[in-house]
Amino acid sequence: MNTTKFFLLLILSFMIITITLGEQKVSDNNVVLLPSKNDPTVSFRIWFKVGSQNDPAGKEGLASITAQMLTDAATEKNSYEQVLEKLYPLAAGYNASSTVEMTVISGRTHKDNLGDYYPLFIDAILRPAFKQEDLERIKSQVLNQLENMLRYASDEELGKAVLYNDVFTGTPYGHITDGTIEAVKSITLDDIRQFYSAYYTKDNFVIGLGGGYDMNLLSNLKKDLGMLPTGTPKAVEKPAPKAINGLNVTIIDKDAPATAISMGFPIDILRGTKDWYALAIATSWLGEHRNSSSHLYQVIREARGLNYGDYAYIENFPNGGRYQLPPQNVCRRSQLFEIWIRPVPNETRHFAMRAALRELKKLVDNGMTQSEFDQTKKFLRNYVLHFGPTTMEKLAYALDDKFYGIKDEGHLNMFRKMMDELTLNDVNTAIKKHWQTSNMQIAVITKDAQSFKDALVNDSPSPITYKTPKPESVLEEDKEIIIFQLKVKAENVKIMPVTDLFVK
Amino acid sequence: MARIIIGVFLLIFFISLGSTAMADSIFPYKYQKETLPNGLTVIMIPMESPGLVAYYSVVRTGSRDEVEQGKSGFAHFFEHMMFRGTKKYPGSVYDSIVTSMGADANAYTTDDYTCYHMNFAKEDLERVVEIESDRFQNLSYEEQAFQTEAGAVYGEYRKNVTQPFALLNEKMQDLAFDVHTYKHTTMGFEADVKAMPEGYEYSKSFFKRFYRPDNVVILITGDIDPNKTLALINKYYGEWEKGYISPSITPEPPQTAERIGEVAYTGKTLPIIDIAYKGAALDPNNNDFVSALLLSDLAFGETSDLYKKLIIQEQKVQFVAGSTPMNRDMPLFEIYSMVKDENDINYVRDEIYRTLDEFKNKPVEEKRLNDLKRRNKYGFLMGLDTPDHVAGGLARFAALTGSIEVIDQLYKHLETITPQDIVNSAKKYFMPEQRTVVVLKGVKQ
Repeated sequence: MNTTKFFLLLILSFMIITITLGEQKVSDNNVVLLPSKNDPTVSFRIWFKVGSQNDPAGKEGLASITAQMLTDAATEKNSYEQVLEKLYPLAAGYNASSTVEMTVISGRTHKDNLGDYYPLFIDAILRPAFKQEDLERIKSQVLNQLENMLRYASDEELGKAVLYNDVFTGTPYGHITDGTIEAVKSITLDDIRQFYSAYYTKDNFVIGLGGGYDMNLLSNLKKDLGMLPTGTPKAVEKPAPKAINGLNVTIIDKDAPATAISMGFPIDILRGTKDWYALAIATSWLGEHRNSSSHLYQVIREARGLNYGDYAYIENFPNGGRYQLPPQNVCRRSQLFEIWIRPVPNETRHFAMRAALRELKKLVDNGMTQSEFDQTKKFLRNYVLHFGPTTMEKLAYALDDKFYGIKDEGHLNMFRKMMDELTLNDVNTAIKKHWQTSNMQIAVITKDAQSFKDALVNDSPSPITYKTPKPESVLEEDKEIIIFQLKVKAENVKIMPVTDLFVK
Repeated sequence: MARIIIGVFLLIFFISLGSTAMADSIFPYKYQKETLPNGLTVIMIPMESPGLVAYYSVVRTGSRDEVEQGKSGFAHFFEHMMFRGTKKYPGSVYDSIVTSMGADANAYTTDDYTCYHMNFAKEDLERVVEIESDRFQNLSYEEQAFQTEAGAVYGEYRKNVTQPFALLNEKMQDLAFDVHTYKHTTMGFEADVKAMPEGYEYSKSFFKRFYRPDNVVILITGDIDPNKTLALINKYYGEWEKGYISPSITPEPPQTAERIGEVAYTGKTLPIIDIAYKGAALDPNNNDFVSALLLSDLAFGETSDLYKKLIIQEQKVQFVAGSTPMNRDMPLFEIYSMVKDENDINYVRDEIYRTLDEFKNKPVEEKRLNDLKRRNKYGFLMGLDTPDHVAGGLARFAALTGSIEVIDQLYKHLETITPQDIVNSAKKYFMPEQRTVVVLKGVKQ
């Protein structure tokens, strides 16, 4: 999307109610309201247009740590202990979610407690104390995540992190939100203060407010956030990942009990456009997240029992192992088409990779059939009803709509409407236009990396044996999968020890 | 890890049932409970929701019921088999029906129960009742499909085993229990998971014994008419034959001496210490048990003195947290902490002991107890916002007791808890001879 169009869409963007208030007013275009009279709670989501793409070189992780220094640390009025003490009886809290492009400070309270809650929430944003001891505590948590948890405790998340870092290397998306070990260690309170001054300005946020609030609260919120300094941060250019030639494989060599695989390539298509919804149908059929209707799931798990699940995506889905339904406020201007193969026995890694790529090739070459198309769009039309059931999540979707410039009805309504409008031809045309199988980035977490590299480069057959009998149709198909040509070139395979990851 | 996450969530939900001063009943929705002649219990809770319904089938059987040698993990494995279909609706047909409805459907297994849940549009209610009643009565699968699914379960084991917490829990349960089935995790011992393909005949007997109406509670919440819903339940589940056979579970004898264990994690991790005490089964009339539910938060929650000391001031640990689960039999009441420096493990352990000793000797301030009661009230009210959250939060109560009346009983009892009750509870459960301590350390430095 070019800048002018993006700007126009932003001006026309979706708003449910707009109110003009006070002398230090916040532009109404920067307010999203979801009033719900019967809701006994009030939900806040304040979106600051900053994320890891704004991390200065050598300070990767700064956006995320700065956000945590607002919500998980002292304010000028209260020490962190006092903040926790005061929030405790309210059964309420607030937190920061910082992703590549967005940082959202969110919180929810029962209406009865709004008077006690609101001053704490607004103080966190306006008057952070930035104390050294809080910074040390937060840095230690981030370093534990980078040095230990991500490298060793979840090979699935590790695989995705490697894939995204590889695809976006050299761009502002080229590091994970948590940053790098050396950079995190180097972050000082001065870095935090500078970053806060630059990005937490009155010109750089959108208010999201929902539930059973009244107009006084909105008025106060606008007035209070209007006290932030002025300043429009310089826009970060949309990342342009370098072209991928052939199948590029990064093998992370570690003592892995099973092999996790993530693969994909950049796609230049975003939510809100017709082609996106067409691809959403194809993606759902190929690999609906955590759903046994996924075709990859049927081939790899259901028929062959190789793993726990196999899915496909056209939008980033962090922590997919933990959540059933898609996340909100993780928007990006540049997305990947992605396939996630959950850990398979090491001896079947080559076979599983071939099986997945073969299915993708079949889809790209032949398209979906009418019955697959009919069934999938029927599924999606109702399935999206489950997205965003709470006020907080609806508010988050409304902010996403602002990010993507989706006006009027919003993404979820548009999603349902498009299920009635799109044709099989639309879907198959979109597949041909946006998807291919020749140029992909692949991340593999496994052991004996060199022997896997050899097998890949030689396109060696990957015979498979099962402990249990399988139907003839499966065995026949296996004969094709075993020799399915991947044509990986030696110079496109990189082996790295896990300890080399996220260092700097 | 899954066990902990589920445990903590339910604990939060439960703890939040603590208090509401303005009503006789803590539960704000009217509900209708019916029991069919075959013993099937159905609880219907109409609530405001935009045309959506949540449907939870709760089988009161979990890994606790795996009494036979070599069959640990079977309740969870069986949960997978329940998606393999019937003669009328084979697995692929069942899947395509669920898919065409756009339902959000899944299942999970815990120590005490197995839960099948589905969210869907209200116009699909009859279809859901039909396909769910069919698979619960007429499940049918071939040995080949059974064996393939066993491979997927082993895949799930492999996926989990890279998490330090999975390993730590496995070791803790094995060490703390001698004879009770809580000795194994819900996932099961690895050797048993590996041997699952050989259990086809056993799986059929598992279905016959446990998947019976007198062992199942159905929770239906959301945009429903209870009378019409009940008519559908009668129509589709009425012929289901009762015949639940309760397993004979050997009670765990009292522990008389402290147990110490260590486990090596093949990856790299900060050390984790897990201190567990033999607790008590869910009983809303047991003053010590009800007090223990509050004690855990008072002693180790984020406003506790220990949390402030170890996390905020000294910064010696990544986290510290207590867990007081609700179970059918005696579970472990646990305190976990991830320690930053291996040399501080004993220090952190002793600080946890010192905290528990303080609670045994000094009554907690009245204000802190009241703050916790206020927190519980609002946590509860804020958590009941969707049909899925309501049904999901009630599932464990329904599984443990066969109903949800226990919520009001617990609530009324929690209101009466005094600082002295907390002292008594600390003395009852947190004694050194009832303790098992496991430290997990990473092999790589």
